[in-house]
Amino acid sequence: MIRYYGGKILIFIVSIFVLSFLVFTVSRMAPGDPLVSYYGDRVEKMTLEEREHAENRLGLRDPMLTQYQRFLEKSMQGDFGISYKYKRSATEVVLDRLPYTLVLGGVGFVLIFSLALLLGIVCAVHEDRLLDQIICKVGTVTSCIPEFWVSLMLILIFAVELKLLPSSGAHSLRVDTLSDRLLHLILPMTVVVLGHLWYYAYMIRNKILEEIRRDYVLLAKAKGLSKRKILYRHCVRNMIPSYLSLMAISVPHILGGTYIVETVFSFPGIGTLAYESARFHDYNLLMLLSLLSGMVVILGNMVAQIINERIDPRIRAKEAMHER
Amino acid sequence: MSLIEIKNLNVNYKTTRGEVHAVRGVNLSVAKGEVLAIVGESGCGKSALLKSVMGLMPANAVATGQVSAFDRELVSLREKEWQGIRGKQISMLFQDPMTTLNPTMTIGSQIAEALLIHHPKMEKEKVRKRVYELLSLVGIKKPEVRAKQYPYQFSGGMRQRSVLAIAIANEPELLLADEPTTALDVTVQAQILGLLQEIQKKLNMTTILVSHDLRVVSSIADRVAVMYAGKIVEIGTRDEIFTDPRHPYTWGLLRSLPEYSQGKEMLFTIPGMPPDLRQDFVGDAFAPRNRYALQIDYEEEPPLFAVSDTHKAATWLLDERAPRVDFSTMDMVHEVSMEEHEHAPRNHGEDPKKPLVSVNHLTKDFVLPGKKKMTAVKDVSFSIMPGEIFGLVGESGSGKSTVARCIMNAYTDFEGEIFYADIPLHERVARRRERRRLSTERQMIFQDSASSLNGRMKISDIVTEPFRIRHEKPKRGSLKKEAAYQLSYVGMDEGYLNKHPGELSGGQRQRVAIARAVATDPKLLIADEPIAALDVSIQAQIINLFKHLQVEHGFSILFIAHDLAMVRFLCDRVGVMVDGEMVEMGETEEIFSNPQHAYTKELLAAIPKIGKERP
Repeated sequence: MIRYYGGKILIFIVSIFVLSFLVFTVSRMAPGDPLVSYYGDRVEKMTLEEREHAENRLGLRDPMLTQYQRFLEKSMQGDFGISYKYKRSATEVVLDRLPYTLVLGGVGFVLIFSLALLLGIVCAVHEDRLLDQIICKVGTVTSCIPEFWVSLMLILIFAVELKLLPSSGAHSLRVDTLSDRLLHLILPMTVVVLGHLWYYAYMIRNKILEEIRRDYVLLAKAKGLSKRKILYRHCVRNMIPSYLSLMAISVPHILGGTYIVETVFSFPGIGTLAYESARFHDYNLLMLLSLLSGMVVILGNMVAQIINERIDPRIRAKEAMHER
Repeated sequence: MSLIEIKNLNVNYKTTRGEVHAVRGVNLSVAKGEVLAIVGESGCGKSALLKSVMGLMPANAVATGQVSAFDRELVSLREKEWQGIRGKQISMLFQDPMTTLNPTMTIGSQIAEALLIHHPKMEKEKVRKRVYELLSLVGIKKPEVRAKQYPYQFSGGMRQRSVLAIAIANEPELLLADEPTTALDVTVQAQILGLLQEIQKKLNMTTILVSHDLRVVSSIADRVAVMYAGKIVEIGTRDEIFTDPRHPYTWGLLRSLPEYSQGKEMLFTIPGMPPDLRQDFVGDAFAPRNRYALQIDYEEEPPLFAVSDTHKAATWLLDERAPRVDFSTMDMVHEVSMEEHEHAPRNHGEDPKKPLVSVNHLTKDFVLPGKKKMTAVKDVSFSIMPGEIFGLVGESGSGKSTVARCIMNAYTDFEGEIFYADIPLHERVARRRERRRLSTERQMIFQDSASSLNGRMKISDIVTEPFRIRHEKPKRGSLKKEAAYQLSYVGMDEGYLNKHPGELSGGQRQRVAIARAVATDPKLLIADEPIAALDVSIQAQIINLFKHLQVEHGFSILFIAHDLAMVRFLCDRVGVMVDGEMVEMGETEEIFSNPQHAYTKELLAAIPKIGKERP
């Protein structure tokens, strides 16, 4: 057991390390001027000496490996440097923005998976009947439309034409009430949910149907259980491990989706922040955000794997079979 | 007083390729406390009949007619009403205990569920007590511990006991058993049958048992009904059916058992296969397979003629105008639809005294997750002579298949030596050098031809794949001609060339697998449980095919099986394996008439004997 989890943690650390190295080197090799994000337009008027001085101050003149070594040492102590653009500690900047993404992504995540389970069960119960066919077809079509396009269309309809909902931001200028914030959440949240819901609902539908076709359902029926109870007590229950691992795997997908949506709606989450930092070479911020997203992605996958390997008794059953 | 009365029951399945008439006008009545067995080949409607008695048909099935039991009419019941009857008055045992239990629930809670459905107000303590009681009733020791375990911690036999515990939880009046022992090992099968009989007597449960295994039926049934093409063609007491069968189909089924053909050249077979139930039958459905069919058999359906008060059979042969047929002479006739074989086996130019395969001190370990080691085969040694049929028997998990796979080099990390002719198979260099020869001369046939044949390939491509892989020109000119030749060799015509495995029956698929294996003219054929998944009558056909091909080609066969009667009929020598060790080996007759090892004795004793009642 200790070996198992120890191994997982080791893999986690190594992956994060490799990720940090890649992001560090690639971002520095990409064309562009990091000074722009610090000094803005003033950079164009700088003399060579001033530039040299500024680059020295930010430590950008040292060889890349030295810079990386410094980054490693500092980050171990929890210091990720300052954001060039915001002239504040990168950690602070991220912490400021994180709640927005957590709300958008987190609530979106919960919504996606509760709705997907519901839709999945409804479809499975009505397998191949009209309702199921409609939901599946609508879902396929919807999930084929790119998120940014859906976002733009929604903005066009609800913000521009109907003027019902705000088109961007997390709250109106100088107004900061809960209802105002909720209003601002509706459109981005809709896009996040719509973009992922169908795919997962379809997966869940098929998982349930797979369970329904198993032999133990016949035994449950022979016991005198009603269809409803068979569905909930046996089939849905047995599908939970796959459901959980699906949830864990989906974390990076939904996170990625959130980033795009945030950008389109100028929603001040870490998605917008990550986009800006990559675009304007705000290295320290970029590193922190990449590591953060990377950790979430790797953790998500790892949890999925652990669920698959440890929680599902059927997989333990397979191991037991080989022990014979 | 009959407990259940079935009158003119019809079950039809709607499929995309037409309507299947699975049960056609069945009349049956079963008395209280009686054990009725229904036998027949697969696809005869046995299971459909059983499921319709419990309302467990799939959604595309429609049942019409009358099934009356417990003062009710069952056919027209609605789902809600069924739920009150299922598990309480009628229970069912299923074929495969490995899949019928919910893998994620403990055994105890699955039994408790069966109780609580019908007694929702039962106290927790009482439920627990009853669960333990049921577990010990079905012979599971330490019920307090076992109840908390999951199905994967149970062996196949234990799982079937647990399913039985669920079935009898509410002491039902009627127990339906759908091939309850087919998926189990011989010794376990005997235990489960004994248990079933004991519990049936104790609870005085009326039982309807469906099986294709006549041996199982003969040991437990009071009465036997024989089903063919959705109809009951003969029904009578066990003794009447087994000692005085009147329908040629019943006679054929009995004669197909290898026990009746010991020492003979070929097994008796019923020609052909069960018919497709999508058609409308004119006359007797069995007529095309009946060598005594009369003109009227093709024109008019025979009624049930009464032989005695309890014994009835539906065949025109019982009409007073029909010619008398003495079935006992039938075993003299061999209508094997294959060419006469020349008797001298072709010799491949080898020294007949030198073994073709010799296995010396073979040991194979598997490393399990968590670095645990499991020894599947322990120090096994044997040899196979050219032209010899060597049988390997033992329970599942005894290491038979592992031995086969080591010889085929599916596993190469074994300890010990395996020689094929002069080639040391345990040496990598030698294997590689002789790769071509080995892949031509060693061939394997698997148990489950449904999954061992690629479902997306045409039969002709499957049979000739060995030639295409090796870029070899087949002997018969083109690949197509070769495929047709090989198929005709195993008794199939050219019409099958363009079909896919999914369109074939199990027996036909196994023939294709054999044709593919024989196509390269092998010297060693390894057959891993090749008949275990087939019907008795089809098993006989396949075994005959093996025997026929072996005489024609003169190859050696390593025949792995758990059906001892078949092994006795087919094999020259036999090895018995227990827990990875070879415990006994010798000439077939010697082993069977004078077994030495305790396990071999147990194995032989476990075979239900035809016509004899279980003590």
